[in-house]
Formats: sequence, C-alpha cells, structure tokens
Amino acid sequence: MANKDEVSKQFLDALEFRGIKRRDFLKYCGATAILLGFSESFAPKIAAAIENATKRQPVVWLNFASDSGCTEAFIKATYPSPAQVILDILSVDYNETIMAAAGKQAEEILVKSRQEGGYILIVEGGIPTKKGHGMIGNKEMLEVFKENAGPAIAILAIGSCATTGGVPAAKPNPSQIIGTAEALKRLGISKPLVNLDLCPVNPEYLVGVVVNFLLLGKIPDLDHFGRPKMFYGQTIHDNCERRAHFDAGRFVEVFGSKEESLNYCLYKMGCKGPMTWSACPKIQYNDRTSWCVKAGGPCIGCAEPGWTDKFAGFYERLPGVKIPGMDGVEAGADKIGAIAAAATAAGIALHAVATGVSGRIKDKDGGEK
Amino acid sequence: MAQKLTKTWSLGYIIEHWTRVIAIAVLTFTGFYIHWPFIAGGLECLLMSWMRFLHFVAAYVLILGLVVRVYMAFRSTFDADWKDFGIIRNIKNIPDSLGYHLFIKGSHKDYRKYDPLQALIYLCVAAVIVVAAFTGGALYQGNIFGFIQAPDSFLWVTALLGGESATRLVHILSMWFFIVFVLIHVYMSIMTTMVNKDKTLTSILTGYKLKKFSK
Ligand code: SF4
Ligand code: SF4
Repeated sequence: MANKDEVSKQFLDALEFRGIKRRDFLKYCGATAILLGFSESFAPKIAAAIENATKRQPVVWLNFASDSGCTEAFIKATYPSPAQVILDILSVDYNETIMAAAGKQAEEILVKSRQEGGYILIVEGGIPTKKGHGMIGNKEMLEVFKENAGPAIAILAIGSCATTGGVPAAKPNPSQIIGTAEALKRLGISKPLVNLDLCPVNPEYLVGVVVNFLLLGKIPDLDHFGRPKMFYGQTIHDNCERRAHFDAGRFVEVFGSKEESLNYCLYKMGCKGPMTWSACPKIQYNDRTSWCVKAGGPCIGCAEPGWTDKFAGFYERLPGVKIPGMDGVEAGADKIGAIAAAATAAGIALHAVATGVSGRIKDKDGGEK
Repeated sequence: MAQKLTKTWSLGYIIEHWTRVIAIAVLTFTGFYIHWPFIAGGLECLLMSWMRFLHFVAAYVLILGLVVRVYMAFRSTFDADWKDFGIIRNIKNIPDSLGYHLFIKGSHKDYRKYDPLQALIYLCVAAVIVVAAFTGGALYQGNIFGFIQAPDSFLWVTALLGGESATRLVHILSMWFFIVFVLIHVYMSIMTTMVNKDKTLTSILTGYKLKKFSK
C-alpha cells in the first residue's frame, strides 16, 4: 500500500521529538519486518508504511468491559517505545480512555468516523449482554459495537477480554459477557477478525498486525482460534529460556527455594507454558525487557481462548475438572483417578470376601458346572 | 467330569498380551512422571527428555498393538474371535453373568471365550486406547508415524473437548482407566483360577487352560 519506499526526514524528526531515536525506530522496523516474515531489508518499506498510516489509515478504538489494561500497556512505560509511539501517532480517531475530547464532542468524532468508514476497529474489553450492565452514552455496549463494526474494514480484538471475555467473563459471569467473535456471530455480522489473546495484549503484536495490514492490505494468516500464526504458532514452552531445566528434570518445588534462585523450570509451580501458544519468550514485554517466566512467574496461559476459567488455579499443574451433573463440584484429575482406583480396590476386597464366604473356592469341581 | 488341557491362546495372542502389558506399564510410569516429575534430574541424564521419549515409543507400541489385535480378531488362523465381541449379544447376557458375580445365582451360562462383561470391557479398552491416541496426538508436536502432522491434524480433538487443558485432562483420565482396568483384570483372573481351578491365570503364559467335559 505504501506508494513510496522511504520514510521522510520530517517524520523521523517528529519521532525524535517524541523521544525515539531515528536509529531505534529503524531497528524496530527491522525487527517488525522479521516478525512478519520479511527480510530485514524491508525495514524502510515498513517505516514508510507506518508514516503513511499516520496520515491515512483511520483507527477507532472501542473500550468495553475491561480494566483498560491493554490501553495501559501502551501508554505506561518508563520511556516511550517505538511501538507505543506508533500507536500514539496512528490516526486513532476515537479512544475514550486517552482522547482529549469527551462526551458529546467525542460522540461526534465517532459519528464522523462511521460516516467515512474504512477504519480498523480495535476492540478492547468484553461485551456485556445483560441489559444495563454496560452502557456508553445511554447505549448498550452490544449496540455500540454493532454500530461501529458495520463500517469497519477489519476488526482487531485485543486482549483476552475482547477475544473470549477474559477476566470479566470469569465464572459466574454476572454480566453475561461475551467476546468479539461471539458478538459478531450473534449479530450476524461477518467481518475479517483478528484475535489477539493475551492479558494485556503485547503492543508489538498489535503493531505487527497493523503494519502487516498496511503493507499487504490484508489480515495475516490465522490459526483455528483466529489468532495470527506468526505470533501464536509455537508454545511458550518451545521457546522458553528454562526449557533446558525442564528436559533435564530440574524443577522449582516451592517459591523462595534454592531451586527458584537457580532459575529452574516452573512446571511444578503450575506453569501453563506447554499448553499456551504465544511468542512471549521471543518478543517479550515492555520493549523486550522481560516476560512472565523470565521474571520468575509461571505462565498462567493468558494467550489461550477461554482463559481464565479454563486455566484456574494458576499454580496447579492441571486445572480442575467439572464433574458433569454435579454443579460447582470440581476435583483434580488425580483426585478423580485416585478415588476411582480406591473404589475399585474396595470393590475387589468386598468381592473376594464374598467369594470366600460363598464357598465357591472350596468347591472341588469349580464353579462352572 | 473329565478335565483336559486345551489350548486357549496361541503364541501370537500371548505375545500380543504381554507387549500391551509392557506398553501400559511404561506409559503409566512415564505418564505419571511427565504429569508430575517426582524424581529430580540433572543435565547429565536429561530425565524428562528420556521419560517423554519412552512415553512416545510405548505409545506407538500400544497403538500398533491394537491394530495387530484387531487384525487377529478377524484373521487369526488359531482363533479369530471377533464374533465373541458382539455388543448386543453380550449386553443381553449381562444379567446372567452379573447375577453369578454378585452371588444371586450359583452358576452362569457357558460363554465360549469371554464373559459378557469381560468382552464389553475389552471393547472399552480398545476405545480408550483410541481416545488416548487421539488426545495424545493433539498434545504431541511432530510427525506421527513420520507423516501425520501433530498437533495440526488433531486440532479438532482439542476443539471438540474445548481447549488444550481439557485434552490433557482426558488424556490423563484415560491412564486412570487403565489402572482401574488392570486392577479388576488381574483380580478376576486370579479369582476365576481359584474358583474354577482351570489354570486361567497361567494360561496367558502357557497357552493352556483346563476345560471340563461331561462323560
Ligand atoms: S518454565 Fe514453563 S514454559 Fe518454561 S520450560 Fe518450564 S514449563 Fe516450559
Ligand atoms: S507468558 Fe503466559 S501468562 Fe505470560 S503473557 Fe505470555 S501467555 Fe500470558
């Protein structure tokens, strides 16, 4: 989509003014190029695409039921990262959390964006479906979503709340919160949708998808959960820096132990890395400073749809199983197995005693007559 | 009543049985370890890697063993016993067999090879092997048998069960099924041997059982 391959000096100066060195910006573009599967020589093209986007590609960012953690992830950092600044300068027409305008004025901007259409709709937060549980400007959030999804060219659901409901949709889900995909289905709207599960979303994932869209004019390849394969194609476990300890069988058994200080694998502390698909170990958070396991915490599986419910308790090896028919009763898989085995053993003992009492064993000819 | 040693199991059946015993034992032990690594390792021995390797090898044995067993059920020259597994007939015979095992009746009908409950449980074992294989495939990363891409070819399993944690749960519960099965299976063979005095227990090594004939 870029009609020129070089980023202008003016743009780089503008970045410099915001605290991003020209060199850092180009380095970042190079890294993004590699993320997207291009060679690093693509960096100038990406830089140009970003510059063009700041002039052309409108973005509408809607906040629904969430703690605005994804917005926070972009705007809070010790120093601005290229990813933040890029999102900052994208023509984000509407973002309730950080825009200067408010109330009627803000609404007007949104109405104008809708009339012009062709924007990328970024959805942050889950959508309450229970009446009166989530309203913006006197309108149900589902209604707001419906209005704004129509004119969008593509929808990016960012963060776990927006993809499948995340924390606000956790049991018992009093507001009956649903994710974007489910909302689109219920409303009967079909639009290209990209799910960026994570809590909060990694800013670099979002920039990666947006840049990919700007360069190629389409959303990236998605996996079966609608997540971009380039970010969700491998498990945490596959790229984890502690994997050598896992393979060797060296595990942290309790926090505050020698094993923990030796950075052993967190598998037994409930790490969900083996069942969580995301590029966290490669891309990391906060301008590639660190990520969960590097910081010493087990992965809690926030990149997977159905998180949190499907991944609680976070420090257990396997989350509890719901026994069908028994509402609210949960038991670990091991407990179920152990109980079944104990019941079997008891049954066997009982049967053995009964057989003894019945005199079948003493019967010389044997039982089968 | 006269008794005669009768050949019940051919060498093929005996080998097939013990191969499965070894596979299930290895799978259960390594499976427990993979689920909860109870022995601390070190970089010298790569304990977890070895456990996983053995687990995968034993899984191949278990799956191929089932294929061989199904083949034998239809094509064994010694005793193709697929008819003994007829679900409807076995279900109809349950009251008779259960009545005997629960001491309501003193005797049961003469079943050709398997007690109806036994035959049905064996079918369940086959089904659980399939479940374990498919959930295992969904958790595996590599090319199964060199050409079935995992987990890609098994994504539907995970989708059906509602997420990878559910897949793991079903997989580990299948192990508990085998544990319970083995307990009952071993008990029943000992008990049958003691009650019927027909060498059932040793027949799976020797191949011979005592059969009674009316004079
Ligand atoms: S810390 Fe977690 S992701 Fe890393 S190797 Fe251990 S189990 Fe895997
Ligand atoms: S490492 Fe796990 S818990 Fe941490 S952000 Fe990535 S997916 Fe979420």
